[in-house]
Amino acid sequence: MQDDIYREKILRARKSTPEQRLADVFELTNTVFARMHEGAMWQTGCTDKEEGWKIVRQRLSRLQKVHDLGRFVNQKPEKVHDC
Amino acid sequence: MTVEQLAAMVIAACEQEGVEHMLTGAFAHGLYGIPRSTKDVDVVLSLIGANPFQRVTQRLSEIVEFEQQIQFDTLTWGKRQVGQSISNPPFKVELFELFDDPFVQAQFQRKRKMFSVQLQRDAWLPTPEDVVVQKLRWGRNKDLDDARDVLAVQGPETLDMTYIRNWCGIHGTLERLETALDGIPPLD
Repeated sequence: MQDDIYREKILRARKSTPEQRLADVFELTNTVFARMHEGAMWQTGCTDKEEGWKIVRQRLSRLQKVHDLGRFVNQKPEKVHDC
Repeated sequence: MTVEQLAAMVIAACEQEGVEHMLTGAFAHGLYGIPRSTKDVDVVLSLIGANPFQRVTQRLSEIVEFEQQIQFDTLTWGKRQVGQSISNPPFKVELFELFDDPFVQAQFQRKRKMFSVQLQRDAWLPTPEDVVVQKLRWGRNKDLDDARDVLAVQGPETLDMTYIRNWCGIHGTLERLETALDGIPPLD
């Protein structure tokens, strides 16, 4: 089932031009941010759009800390081994 | 502001400052693989010239608030500076330095120019082969999925697999490459 869904995604992407795929990234991103905003407002009962965006910013900030943990540091060690 | 408007402004800032640059991250992956959403505009900056990071961040200061603290990638020890758009939605901007790493240098030298209708300008992007090598090198689950997507959508038969295997051998990621290739379902 998962393979079938993935296969369909690949075939759909293959039918698109690079330009279309890049446009899809933009559209998906703008849509996801709008949904995050709606979700934050719905979940907190907030009616002020600016407040809704503040909640989204806080959530993204937390998410960034989780994603960056161990991957980015503020200081480079004195001796590092190249990859 | 839309993410493409922000990306266009970041590219314009690089051009105005004469800083050679290349879009990377989800934009590069989406160009060659299966489009997905992203939270950030990722750009690699050449370090030729005086203080390119500072000049570009200064040029963007009215639309992006950058953190003062420079960060280091623990895999390659390259530098990164992170910012967030001041207006909503709060997209992130990540600037990466083009540092003295043989693969990073090769990737940047091989970058391609394409005109984007959405960006209303030319954008420099890595080749699909370099996206695969980079994603396999980073090696997080999402990166490995991205590498497999590019291999699947482009088709290994259309890619310079010798180039990919060469860098994967250097990076010790050949096993990841084979796993990614094995993960492509039959498409006929």
